[in-house]
Amino acid sequence: MSETLLRVQEVSKGFPGVQALDKVSFELRKGEVHALVGENGAGKSTLMKILSGVYRPDSGSIIYKGRETRFQNAREAAAAGIGIIYQELNLVPHLTVAQNIFIGREPRTLLGYIDDRKMNVDAAAILGKLNLTIDPATRLNRLSISKQQMVEIAKALSRDSEVLIMDEPTSALTESEIDELFKVIHSLRDRGVGIIYISHRLDELKHIVDRITIFRDGHTIATSEYAAITMDGIINHMVGRKLENLFPPRRNQPTAKKLLEVRHLVQPGVLKDISFDLFQGEILGIAGLMGAGRSELARAIFGADRISSGAIFRDGRKLDIRSPADAIAHGIAYLSENRKEDGLAIKMTLNENVTMANLPEVSRRCSIISRAQELEATRKYVDELDIRTPSLEQRVNNLSGGNQQKVVIAKWLYRDSRILIFDEPTRGIDVGAKFAIYELIERLAREGVGVILISSELPEILGMTDRVLVLHEGSLMATLRTRDTTQEQILNHAAGLQAEAEPLAAATNPQEGSLFDEQRA
Amino acid sequence: MSNALSLAASPSPRAGLSAGRGNRSLSLDKLMIFLAFAALFLFFSLTARNFFTVRNVLTLALQTSTITIMGIGVTFTIITGGIDLSIGSVVALSGTVAVMAANLGMPIWLAMVIGLASGVLCGLLNGIIITGLKLPPFIATLGMMMVARGVVLTITNAMSKPAPDAFGHLGNDTLFRYSRQFPGIAYPVFIMILAALVFGFFLRRTRMGRYTYAIGSNEEASRLSGIQVNRVKLVAYMICGFCAALTGIILASRMVTSQPNGGVSYELNAIAASVIGGTSLMGGIGTVGGAVIGSFIIGVLGVGLTMQGASYFVQQIVIGVVVIASVAVDQIRTKKKLVQ
Repeated sequence: MSETLLRVQEVSKGFPGVQALDKVSFELRKGEVHALVGENGAGKSTLMKILSGVYRPDSGSIIYKGRETRFQNAREAAAAGIGIIYQELNLVPHLTVAQNIFIGREPRTLLGYIDDRKMNVDAAAILGKLNLTIDPATRLNRLSISKQQMVEIAKALSRDSEVLIMDEPTSALTESEIDELFKVIHSLRDRGVGIIYISHRLDELKHIVDRITIFRDGHTIATSEYAAITMDGIINHMVGRKLENLFPPRRNQPTAKKLLEVRHLVQPGVLKDISFDLFQGEILGIAGLMGAGRSELARAIFGADRISSGAIFRDGRKLDIRSPADAIAHGIAYLSENRKEDGLAIKMTLNENVTMANLPEVSRRCSIISRAQELEATRKYVDELDIRTPSLEQRVNNLSGGNQQKVVIAKWLYRDSRILIFDEPTRGIDVGAKFAIYELIERLAREGVGVILISSELPEILGMTDRVLVLHEGSLMATLRTRDTTQEQILNHAAGLQAEAEPLAAATNPQEGSLFDEQRA
Repeated sequence: MSNALSLAASPSPRAGLSAGRGNRSLSLDKLMIFLAFAALFLFFSLTARNFFTVRNVLTLALQTSTITIMGIGVTFTIITGGIDLSIGSVVALSGTVAVMAANLGMPIWLAMVIGLASGVLCGLLNGIIITGLKLPPFIATLGMMMVARGVVLTITNAMSKPAPDAFGHLGNDTLFRYSRQFPGIAYPVFIMILAALVFGFFLRRTRMGRYTYAIGSNEEASRLSGIQVNRVKLVAYMICGFCAALTGIILASRMVTSQPNGGVSYELNAIAASVIGGTSLMGGIGTVGGAVIGSFIIGVLGVGLTMQGASYFVQQIVIGVVVIASVAVDQIRTKKKLVQ
């Protein structure tokens, strides 16, 4: 039980602008399930990528089965017996189960043909070891997601993996499927496989975990027997960060005027009956774990995705939003989570991106664009937001992440939006740029804009918002007043631990104008 | 890394903020294509007798006018991230429709307008299939290629029919005819110039043109910016259909007959011209000017090689190599830019 399989010693890894790992240590024994937890950006994924050969460490050593190892690529790591199962499945849907398990190293007959019979027999043997009754000749896309996940595990084991890394394996599974997965994990552990289990769902750890290691900001904070630590202890270790000076002073005054009312918003399987208000001059946070439905909520309000029922009011008037164009016409803007995927036209210039949502403003008759007006408008925002660029006509994919984010913000500022939804506005940008964006958000709220701030970083939620909505699996678990809450409380709600919601009246009651005043006094 | 880069590149961010053509490399690309064209032209002028004569240059312009017009049209669809494979069939259909209308006794201008309308209709259908049924443009326009060809063969029984003499003016008459030395400039050349100016302006300076680039560069970002993506795509395919129809009418007029079997694989020349001119098949990049120069590179190669005695087959080889080479050079340069 106590034989050490894998030891990570003082491993560091830096990327330009970020020290992802700073002398972290970690140890995995034979036949244990070792949980690795931490907030987004704590360095979990980086360590996993080092262990599986995708990245190489800057310094430190990895001792695997008593020998110092340094994998040059993912293939080497897999051959040495370190298997990894990523959050997204890496399988080919149109091939059979057996073909997926042996992809890239199919058994051959003497003539060089693929030996289908041997492949199916071998696959059946591996699946049998996992106590799974899946026909190896089934096409993969006929299987449920959980069964596919099992196939992924079988694929990893078919290489005789002794270490199995699982990154959020339950994020796409239902309750009963999770039980099935846990049974498999138990049987693997009993056979001596060492399992590194990464999860945001703290509530599920108690079923399977032997030990736990907590990362924060690229450091190892603690390693403990799971039985010897409390949930509070884990959460404290995860978040224990000072908030001083990361955020600008907050001077915005939420008023009693309701800017946006969302009522009973439903999107089947994604959003479950969500209602909330946004006040003028308020910064409203939305917190929740991955897959809780935060971005989906924003996209539904913005008309980017269809809703099946529910209503949205602005200034008391019911809105009919069927497309982003409708939402924009009503003064709502959405700054998406993925800048490059759906925020910027990266082949176009800074100038063209800034004016994209408001071209009529810089057009003359016959919808001809006035270059002079356009450049004038862009220059104003480049100055105002301090966008660092050699020219107004620089292609945006040549700008840094922080500057790209500012370009997206400029696009919506230029549109004079009254309701701005920021989805992870500071992801992937450096500290200085973050502060500038916080200042801007605060200033917008001060000028009477209603801001919705979606963030995975709890310090950001606590440092920047007036109230916070906490989502869990598509349901609104709690509406909290930020100054009265704690990271622990938010995390509890987000993990669905506090199932029976406490009286929420204090923060959701619409007649709350006076409360804000006294709160600011 | 990128952040460090941008800071290093602009020590004083305010100072260098020019409104001028910031993206030098872009205009450099166009310049290089133009230089390639000029070099080619020079080469044939020096090596082929009678290449650089007034008469020959006028002929070259006339012959290239149709591919240029089609190239301009297809550039719109390619910039949106799509393609139009139905051009050749639409050329045949619209020319035939116009001739048939003229043979029914309609005024020539009206017959030609009807021909143009048939092309725009094909483009509209392409656009509706692509945006409404959400089919890949390749498939939608492949289908339209077959349907339009089938329609034109059905209504004509695959037979060419002569058109009234007056139908031939557009394709065969010239302006500024002074003498035998200067036989005048053919109408199609003016049509080409006009199309290039109008569509060039449209693409570069109007909102719809800007949206065309935007959806090709990032469709989802465009949608989230409130752009009516479907409407923009419809317009792009209608413009392409219009340009194909214009070509079809010019060709029918030059022959003074309907050509239900004509235009086969013209779309490939149009796409080649557009791509040589710097249009990216990934969408978001391309210009009308580029398509014009690309067309003329193909035109000069065709005429020049013919005059040097090279067979049509050899010409095909050369043009194929040019297409591959021009895109390859572009790829390599793009990669280099990214590395920097």
